[in-house]
Amino acid sequence: MTQLLVTQILNGIIVGTLYGIIALGVTLTFGITGIVNFALGQFMMVGAYAAWYLTDVVGLPYPVALLPAVGVAALAGLVVDQLLFRFTRDNLVNGLLVSIGLIAVFESTALLIWTSSPKEMNFVMSGSLSFAGISLPKTKIVVFATLSAVIFLTFLALMRTWLGRAAYAYSQNPEAARLMGVRTQLLQSGVVVYSCALAGLGGALYVSLYSLEPFLGGMYILKGVEAAILGGIGSLVGSLVGGILLGVIEAVGSIYLPTAFRDAYGLILVVIVLIFRPSGLFGER
Amino acid sequence: MRFSGFAAFAGAALLVTTAFAQDVVKIGQIEAQTGPNSVNGWMSSQGVPMAVDEINKAGGFQVAGKKYKLELISLDTRGDPKEATVQIKRLIERDKVKFVFGPFLSNVFATILPYAEQFNGKFLLMGGATRAHEYLGKPGYEFVVRTWSWDTGPQGFGELMTDYVKKLGTKKIAMLMQNDQGGQVVASIYEDLFKKAGIETKLEFFEPGTKDFSAALAKLAAWKPDLLFPGYNDSVMYDIMRQSTEGNYFRRFMVARGSMGPCLKNKAEIDDCIVYVPKYFEEAEKTNDKVKKFVAAYKAFYKRDFPYDQAPICSQSCYDHVYMLVAAMQKAGTVDDVTAIRKALLSITYEGLWKISFDEKGEQIFDFDVVHMKRNGEIKVTTIDPPRK
Repeated sequence: MTQLLVTQILNGIIVGTLYGIIALGVTLTFGITGIVNFALGQFMMVGAYAAWYLTDVVGLPYPVALLPAVGVAALAGLVVDQLLFRFTRDNLVNGLLVSIGLIAVFESTALLIWTSSPKEMNFVMSGSLSFAGISLPKTKIVVFATLSAVIFLTFLALMRTWLGRAAYAYSQNPEAARLMGVRTQLLQSGVVVYSCALAGLGGALYVSLYSLEPFLGGMYILKGVEAAILGGIGSLVGSLVGGILLGVIEAVGSIYLPTAFRDAYGLILVVIVLIFRPSGLFGER
Repeated sequence: MRFSGFAAFAGAALLVTTAFAQDVVKIGQIEAQTGPNSVNGWMSSQGVPMAVDEINKAGGFQVAGKKYKLELISLDTRGDPKEATVQIKRLIERDKVKFVFGPFLSNVFATILPYAEQFNGKFLLMGGATRAHEYLGKPGYEFVVRTWSWDTGPQGFGELMTDYVKKLGTKKIAMLMQNDQGGQVVASIYEDLFKKAGIETKLEFFEPGTKDFSAALAKLAAWKPDLLFPGYNDSVMYDIMRQSTEGNYFRRFMVARGSMGPCLKNKAEIDDCIVYVPKYFEEAEKTNDKVKKFVAAYKAFYKRDFPYDQAPICSQSCYDHVYMLVAAMQKAGTVDDVTAIRKALLSITYEGLWKISFDEKGEQIFDFDVVHMKRNGEIKVTTIDPPRK
């Protein structure tokens, strides 16, 4: 039983980093533009399909396919930002509505091109690593390491680079940031594109673990928003911690309680946390 | 003179218009063509338009000396029962449709039923939903025709599958099912079937939309069953089988709904995959001319690759059923009297992609394949034609 528990905690941490990368995108976008971009799940789907297509159809080695897949998601984000989000900066409700509308557009497009047939990528790395009776698929370990590294580097960049400090400054006081010479339009577009790239990376890694359908984005954006709220909207550390906590509680809850209510265990945790800390675990009081 | 000329023209126009209005037989379709459950309805939305197009291009069909064409009104429920209720209301009340294909989803069927039953005797609802089984043959529900076969009984594929796995020495089967209408019904059917056969079962439900099954698989694997019976459609089976083999939980599977796709994808890691497939198209295309023609027609009609993994679902409310409905109307000598058409439908055996007939309650009987895949993809296909009246 201990081995089962430990395995599921580790599994929950890994799954949680997938939630965390989407939560990071949600937090970044919300912090800078004020919009909760519900279409981030769709950019995850775009990255996933791009990675699958480049690997299984075009024949590129999977690690080589990752970067272009992320690039495709980022490019899609740029197009959407320039054509749509750019005009909603002063009206956040419109921005929210646009992001919701994009969900239908992306899903329908993917359905048209690839149909509803699930796509499963060939094994990237078969087998698992075992230690003391605990077994984890190798692919999951690599996905975890990659996502953790990217999240950590994002955090470092925001803390240590001029661009990161500019982003923080803008999120605290947009007018002052503008007066200090921050090119706010460029910053906002950059953050949107980067968030989409993060989501695309999540998707490109997701497809090495799970089958792919046009509707995967819907589930993950909900998890991402849940994780962002749990961790505290606006907190980068919170988005990762929130995602991991969510993943762990779902996995562990499913061992002792019916698997059928897995999603509910995470939601119960969110409610409990919000009762005691309404701004989330790492949000500002 | 002018008035009588105008009147004659108006009369002729009215006659022509009326004639054209009578020359069309409408078929409605309510399936999940998009959305997370579209794997259960998408293929029907592919096959029906093909049949309608073929029949119309051939000049339509004749019933009682009059020529008719088909008009398809295909609506996407997205798997949403509320949407389906609005759609069936539209089909019956606004479009005056007498034949509705679908739904395959049990939750959709259960939701539209209270509305649909008000129109018993005025239309036919021809869908494969598992929940429809319990209403067949009951007074007040003559409008329900189930266009898929049942798991139990002498014509049931489930009984045969259970016999097959029992002969392999199976004593314990773990079941991992969606926690929805379809999953609940499948679980209760197979728990009974396995119990009757002396096979122990352990059942775990998961939330629809789940992608990571490791917790559930670990729980079930701890019980040390001989086989895993994973879900009822491909979109979960791909993930369950992959994670089962990756995590070393299971390598032997029994599949009673879904396709060979998940088994083939993981063939290097699976020891046994015993699958009920309405038709294993990859093999049937090589030996059956009608299947070959259908595959070619699909590619020409839609200008894309043939979806081999989805095609078996065309056994419900799909291509063959359009032709069957036309044959029933021709036998009944009417396009309007649904009671007579239903009676004719239940009396005929149609040989298309499948050999299809209906039992006395209105449940479909059709030939099917049991595909047993062993490690590395070695496949044995057994085609069964169930006993018919």
